[in-house]
Amino acid sequence: MNGLFCAMLLAGTLYAAATGRLDAAQHALLSGGGEAMTLLLELAGAYAFFGGMMGILRECGAADALARALKKPLSRLFRFAPGEEAALSEISLNLSANMLGMGGAATPAGMTAMRKMARANGNDGRASDAMILFLVINTSSVQLLPTTMIALRAQAGAANPTDIVAPVLAATTVSTICGAAICRAFAARGKGV
Amino acid sequence: MRRGDMQGVCGEGERRVKALLPAMVVGCVLMGIRAKVSVYDALIRGAKEGLTTLVQMAPCLCAVMMAVALLRETGLMDAMSALLEPVFSRIGIPREAAPLVLLRPLSGSAALAAVRQVMEQTGADSRASRLCCVICGASETVFFTGSLYLGAAGVKKSRYAVFAALTAYAAGVLAAAMMV
Repeated sequence: MNGLFCAMLLAGTLYAAATGRLDAAQHALLSGGGEAMTLLLELAGAYAFFGGMMGILRECGAADALARALKKPLSRLFRFAPGEEAALSEISLNLSANMLGMGGAATPAGMTAMRKMARANGNDGRASDAMILFLVINTSSVQLLPTTMIALRAQAGAANPTDIVAPVLAATTVSTICGAAICRAFAARGKGV
Repeated sequence: MRRGDMQGVCGEGERRVKALLPAMVVGCVLMGIRAKVSVYDALIRGAKEGLTTLVQMAPCLCAVMMAVALLRETGLMDAMSALLEPVFSRIGIPREAAPLVLLRPLSGSAALAAVRQVMEQTGADSRASRLCCVICGASETVFFTGSLYLGAAGVKKSRYAVFAALTAYAAGVLAAAMMV
């Protein structure tokens, strides 16, 4: 992130100097932060709304119920090394919280899951197949409702802010399945060697 | 022609889509009543969490939007998009969406800034804007999540993790470009 940020700032400023657009650069640097604050204020209502809905779901125990329902299919999907199955309940809790968009509950569970799996492998500093599969499922996004994008579309005056829900679900399903398939292929190859 | 078909499908489903959030409200409230939780208090606690997330995002978003504004105003972003156009247009990604596709795995704030930029440039309902929203909604900040989880487990050898995660992201981008 640090490298990316420095590269953006340096490249932008040097390009401006080279093309004689330093006045534009100056204006951008001073107004960019203001744009961010405007955006945040405009998103605030939607964030409060979605946060509130998730709050109700959480206190109804929806995440726990979903986690229980996910346990069995997940235990089939993951090929655990000995001892790693101890992380199954954290894995299902992490994924169910992520599906419902509760990042605050998902991250601690996910980190515990990774630590448990690392311990089962003797903390050897090497990512196991199950650890990688869990990571890839997480990075391919499993959130059911793209709340930030709905909020952003509403703020920009889209005719129908929620009409991206179906393509988002389809695209994220494709990426998750693809990620899991790659992991399985690598895991199978690793065992053959 | 394919896009025309998709728009027809969207038109039919429009009423159902518009009912999505109201239906969610009814569902959540009924579930709350059934589980005997105080809906109002639960909603307040959740809203507080949502707003806290937003406040925590503020400094990052300011910094990144400053950098993105710099790239935009100086014309560097246009130059980069034009450079990438031959590759991206082949897989159905319009040039306006190119910066988002590259920034998304690196930084959530930068991706948000990029989507907003496309929306301002081309309108909220343009194909480029919709595609950006779908790509953004269907993916995660791969490098952030990766370093967080691998760091937590003390992993030094991540093996094929980055390759698998980025390939999955590319598959999602391709799927989005085909559907939107």
